Amino acid sequence: MFAHVFRYRFKCLIRDKQLVFWTLLFPILLATFFYLAFMNLNDDETFHPIDAAVVVSGHNQYDAPFKSALNSVSKGKKRLFNMKAASNQEEAAEWLKQGKIDGYYTSGKTIKLTVKESGFNQSIMTTFADQYRSSNSAVMQIASDHPEALQNGLLNDVGNRQNYVKEISGGSAEPNNILNYFYSLIAMACLYGSFWGMKEVSDIQANITDRAARVNMAPVHKLKAFIAGSSAALVILYTEILILLTYLRLGLNISFGPRTGYVLLTALVGSVLGLSFGAFISALIKKGGGLKVAILMVVTMVGSFLSGMMFLDMKYIIAEYLPPLVWLNPVNLLTDAFYALYYYDSLNRYALNVGAMLLFIVLFSAATYLIVRRRKYASL
Amino acid sequence: MMIHVKNLVKRYGDLVALDHLSLDIKEGEIFGLLGPNGSGKSTAINCILSLLSYDKGEVEIFGKKMTPDAYAIKRNIGIVMQNVAVFDELTVYENINYFCGLYVRDKAEQKQLVEEAIAFVELEDFRKFYPKKLSGGLLRRLNIACGIAHKPKLIFLDEPTVAVDPQSRNKILEGIEKLNAQGATIVYTSHYMEEVEQICSRIVILDKGRVIASGTKEELKAMITLGEKITVETFSIEEAQLCQLRALPGVVSVDKIDKRLIIKSGKGTNNLESVLNFLKNNQIGFGRIYSELPTLNDVFLEITGKQLRD
Repeated sequence: MFAHVFRYRFKCLIRDKQLVFWTLLFPILLATFFYLAFMNLNDDETFHPIDAAVVVSGHNQYDAPFKSALNSVSKGKKRLFNMKAASNQEEAAEWLKQGKIDGYYTSGKTIKLTVKESGFNQSIMTTFADQYRSSNSAVMQIASDHPEALQNGLLNDVGNRQNYVKEISGGSAEPNNILNYFYSLIAMACLYGSFWGMKEVSDIQANITDRAARVNMAPVHKLKAFIAGSSAALVILYTEILILLTYLRLGLNISFGPRTGYVLLTALVGSVLGLSFGAFISALIKKGGGLKVAILMVVTMVGSFLSGMMFLDMKYIIAEYLPPLVWLNPVNLLTDAFYALYYYDSLNRYALNVGAMLLFIVLFSAATYLIVRRRKYASL
Repeated sequence: MMIHVKNLVKRYGDLVALDHLSLDIKEGEIFGLLGPNGSGKSTAINCILSLLSYDKGEVEIFGKKMTPDAYAIKRNIGIVMQNVAVFDELTVYENINYFCGLYVRDKAEQKQLVEEAIAFVELEDFRKFYPKKLSGGLLRRLNIACGIAHKPKLIFLDEPTVAVDPQSRNKILEGIEKLNAQGATIVYTSHYMEEVEQICSRIVILDKGRVIASGTKEELKAMITLGEKITVETFSIEEAQLCQLRALPGVVSVDKIDKRLIIKSGKGTNNLESVLNFLKNNQIGFGRIYSELPTLNDVFLEITGKQLRD
């Protein structure tokens, strides 16, 4: 009997085009829009080496140390400059005019910087020139006043930058605010699964639909039929979430960190949470389907907003000013579980989020059971 | 006894939907529950089937107390709901197969029963159609097939012909008689007296949740004083002539409604000839004239003072 009900409920659910659109295609479309909108933001935050040039003066005592300083910051992956040597002032000026470089240095007793406009890259070039001048001046002063200090490795000390504040990362992953948008989107998709839960309850409660009344008249245990139908809904929803995760990971290159097993587990818990939430609301509200859909929609969208899907800072504003809401918002719990998996080496925060979700699932399921188990209705 | 209902009371707040309803339905009957909309027909069926809770009373089916988990009883019951109760996402075949599969586990038997049900309601050409593609009449037939595919001994049909064209209605009524001939006991509710008169072997008339009359259609008609109703289409008749008509032997009442004259006579009288003679002698012009035996509507009218379809 389980197989029979499961098979037909699966067919009923998978052929509901409207539900499939909202629970699968809509999140995929939204993820694509997010990707197009946010990837540029990430790109802007990435530092690109500055295209610059140097024109030497021909005085080796000035040119050699400056060129050496420039070379030291123009090597490797994290270099500051893509440095080119211009044969003369005119060539460098021409490159600047053509936009091939953001500015050029002219070495000599005084380091000169020529730029066409002001901007971020030009400010960096100015700062570099100022630092060089400052260090150079310090070394010259010490060499003149205390030449013996140069013997004691002072030159190395002047060149070094000592950090007095130690940066400790919460995890091995790079902080990435953009990810929160995608994680909250997955959470939203899971909560949209509440529509599947709603449909299952509607088709088992004789006081909601005539189909359900007919099922209630069959010699089948009502809760067994409900469990079979809900299992079909879970299989569909979880598959949809896996498709979404695969699209995000492989199609949009969204990182979930190295713990794939936990990510899949989180998606499963999220799917069960969505289903149980929809079933609970459907069982609780006696009014028409429109009101139920509205409630599920509002809870999901407001929850997504508060977890930072439309405005990232909202997540932190809620955490600061309304901390209980962090734990009462199922979308936030799911979003934060994904972020904790990505960012933190420790699983403590993840476990707290999953624990809270499981608690919600137990509460929703228990309440649904108490309502649905009713064997006779006061009115149909 | 297939169904035994005793003193069933169902209240919705202050409204008494079923007022000490008692019924006994025998095996092999087509039992009609007749009454106007809101008289308690569907409530009675839902209480009998244990879908609805009730305040008082007893319900036994197949000699056993009916409860929501009386699966042995449910296995032999088929129900055709008043509203079409099928899944829009399943085809005709799948819908029937789904509901049949809730009763019959053997796959081969299930398949055969589904085929028989499809043939019974003549939906062979529509087996792959989705319900939304079916006309109202075909949809009603699908609704019936879903309720009877498992070959139940007892079938409840709750207004199965509502919003159905005459051709489909006749097919449905013929089908119900066929099911009965195959051995099923039928409980049929309707507010269409013609249907109930046509197919039911025994009838209970409900009003405001109470049984106001029961018996065969002949027994019901015998309960009232009316024996004949003569209708005359006439343009002009004077008040004095109406008084003369009322004075004819056996005439109970004479009413002029628009251009129709309705003359009701008591039992055992045949006034058609005397009415014709009266019209001829008084040179009253008339169109059609016809005589009718009393209907269930007349029974209802005489007992309650209102039309069945009010």
